[in-house]
Amino acid sequence: MSQSSKRIRYVLKRLLQAIPIILAIVVLNFFLLQLAEGDAVDVLAGEAGSATPEYMAELRAKFGLDQPLIVQLGVYLKNVVMLDLGYSFRHEMPVSQLVFDRFIPTLILMSSTIVIAVGFGIILGLIAATGLNTWRDTAISVFALITYATPLFWVGLMLIVVFSLNLGWFPTSGMENFAMFYTGWDRVVDIAHHLVLPTITLSLFYLALYTRLMRASVLEQQGEDYVTTARAKGLTERRIVFVHVLRNALLPVVTMAGVQVGALIGGSVIVESVFAWPGLGMLAFEALFSRDLNLLLGIFLLSASLVVAVNLVVDIIYSLLDPRIEVS
Amino acid sequence: MKIKTLLVNMTCALGLALAGSASAQEQGGNFVYLVQPEPPSLASFLSTSGPIGLVAPKIYEGLLDYDNDLNIVPALAESYEVSEDGKTVTFKIREGVTWHDGEPFTSEDVAFSIMEILKKVHPRGPASFAEVTSVDTPDATTAIFNLENPAPYMLRALSGYESPMVPKHLLEGTDPRNSDLATNPVGTGPYVFEEWKKGQYILLTKNENYWKEGLPYLDRVVARFVPDASTRTAAMENGEVMYGAYGAIPNIDAVRLREMDGFSVSTDGYAMINPMALVEFNSTREPFDKPEVRKAISLAIDRNFLIDNIWFGYGNAATSALSSNFSATGLYKAEPEAYPESPDVDAAIALLDEAGVTPGDDGVRLTATLDLIPYGEDWRRAGEYMKQALMPLGIEIELRYEDVPTWLKRVYQDYDFDLTMNYFYQLPDPVLGVHRHYATSQIRQGTHFVNSSQYSNPELDELLAAATTEADADKRAEIYGQVQDILAEDMPVMNLFEMEFLNVFSDKLHGHDASALGAYGSFDQVWIEK
Repeated sequence: MSQSSKRIRYVLKRLLQAIPIILAIVVLNFFLLQLAEGDAVDVLAGEAGSATPEYMAELRAKFGLDQPLIVQLGVYLKNVVMLDLGYSFRHEMPVSQLVFDRFIPTLILMSSTIVIAVGFGIILGLIAATGLNTWRDTAISVFALITYATPLFWVGLMLIVVFSLNLGWFPTSGMENFAMFYTGWDRVVDIAHHLVLPTITLSLFYLALYTRLMRASVLEQQGEDYVTTARAKGLTERRIVFVHVLRNALLPVVTMAGVQVGALIGGSVIVESVFAWPGLGMLAFEALFSRDLNLLLGIFLLSASLVVAVNLVVDIIYSLLDPRIEVS
Repeated sequence: MKIKTLLVNMTCALGLALAGSASAQEQGGNFVYLVQPEPPSLASFLSTSGPIGLVAPKIYEGLLDYDNDLNIVPALAESYEVSEDGKTVTFKIREGVTWHDGEPFTSEDVAFSIMEILKKVHPRGPASFAEVTSVDTPDATTAIFNLENPAPYMLRALSGYESPMVPKHLLEGTDPRNSDLATNPVGTGPYVFEEWKKGQYILLTKNENYWKEGLPYLDRVVARFVPDASTRTAAMENGEVMYGAYGAIPNIDAVRLREMDGFSVSTDGYAMINPMALVEFNSTREPFDKPEVRKAISLAIDRNFLIDNIWFGYGNAATSALSSNFSATGLYKAEPEAYPESPDVDAAIALLDEAGVTPGDDGVRLTATLDLIPYGEDWRRAGEYMKQALMPLGIEIELRYEDVPTWLKRVYQDYDFDLTMNYFYQLPDPVLGVHRHYATSQIRQGTHFVNSSQYSNPELDELLAAATTEADADKRAEIYGQVQDILAEDMPVMNLFEMEFLNVFSDKLHGHDASALGAYGSFDQVWIEK
């Protein structure tokens, strides 16, 4: 069997295995969420100021909350199988539309964060490892430690104070300047402008992680026999590092990135809150406090599917990075 | 009593308004203001939720409006007339008003809004319009409300926030609770709904056909959602937003902005809302079933300490069951004996002794749990103060802070609490905002923000019923005097202080304080200095 058809078979197999996993996640989440006191009607009625019990009973009937749990679950699962994520009664909108609208900003923020965090993390880790115990190494390690230990919300607020309020370089919050009605290229520039501070805030945190990981990984590879061989062949240090060590050292970093992409897709409540970034994290956070179960389950379902998909992609990348790892 | 009429010529009123502020209003501009949290929908005919009130009244209007002295101002009704027996109220409906979709606004819409929507699905509408049996519409510009009994408070509940007029042609025959209008509102107001980007903003544009000549001035109004309080302040400082009300800018930042150039802070625009911070007692639980215990706690609290140290000086100590704002309508009566100016611990201890709540060997008379309304840090601080303040009485308080649905269920569904800190809107009339605390009929399990104390007093019930239908202002004031005396004695709910919410705004902004409703108003006269 050829390598590529093997790979396709592998992907299909993994996808089939994912279905029961995702369904199990949905069922588990469904029952977990039932443990919370109060329901969406309590919240809606509470916000409304006052509502009659008849009104609340009507709402419960409308939302299907008066049905036995098992029936509610059955209805939900049936809809999910038919790719219908249900309706958010709180937002008066289909869940799929809500989630999709918030998924794009999350994707923008997360991909820029991953690129910057992994990219710079690899570079810094490499610099630190190749200059082991020099001032470069110390400086990078201290920097990584500080950024990792600083609370995200504080970093975000300080960036706002310095770069928005004092220097006036970037807007404080939001995703775009909607009052200007930018279109096309101008809009892209505008969103990029808004993206800078939240990306830096979130990246700083993950950057530290990748830097440490890359540094350790490079150091480990440098002690391997193949490096000694390369050196004996008379290769330059530069060539050894970039052609031989780098590729091997990347494997753990890719593994880590794969795991984190899944987590990042769920959004970052703190960064989204500080910068008013309209991502999935805040949506899930609000949905939890308003007991908007359909919406919450929809977000969980999306996250679960993405984690499965990303892990699959990571496995494929493994086999590309290191041909010794075969998919099977 | 003579027939009461109010006939204000709108063109005249508008002329005066324009002449009054000689600094010419500037046309155009985008007005961005803070709304926090994001509203769940814009169905103000279904929910009186605060964030909805911050946006929907720019789109929907009411029959009447109210000026800053709480005088009635015509809106969609040009005038009204109350019959001698108080049982018929005739509204003259403004001609030439159109819905944002171009359909004419008529008395049919009024009748439909009152009878089919507000009376049926609005949270407070059934109380506001309890006495309305039917609305007659002899022609397109006349709406006659037929009442079972006189309802003097009703005329205070006709603002665009409290009782929005909704389009009959879009709602009739549909389920109003499941209407497209919830996210795509169509009103008669100064601004037309344009777009809602969930998690970001709601965009409204100028209503070019607005019935008030020359208004509105603004091109666009944008309600922005920023979840983090510090970022909201930064956005205000940076000029990205120009206005925030209802605590959008926390007091701690508001007092700082107040000192900066270019920003101002005001407390106007809450007189129709009348927020009151308070503690509800579970009067079915020992020892809070004893009025003496409840009163003792009230005597021991230093209300000004709460105001000065936690709310940065914004607020007025409560002095009765009613807010002192009701002195405008003559209904308020001070109760200094139950609400002393400074705490009186000795008197409180004497009351506890009298009630037979005596200290044990460890000096503790009673232990109780105080639930805190989960609407922010200030309430936690207030709870911590209460715990401290009640220690000298031998009362040990445990604090409990849960999330909104859990707390609502505990207090209003399960009645599983000792004391709970909370705040209520007393609204423009006690019938609308205060009776729900105390009437026996308001012990409604599962309904939020009603008589969770489960306090029941037939004598008080009679007085409340009498006050509801009493058309004579003096007699009404007398009845409420007695009501306040009884409540000062029994105190099923202990008022803490009359809250003052803050508006923080840029000095370039004008006309945002034109109505008694403040941020819940229509913003039709807002303009921005370039």
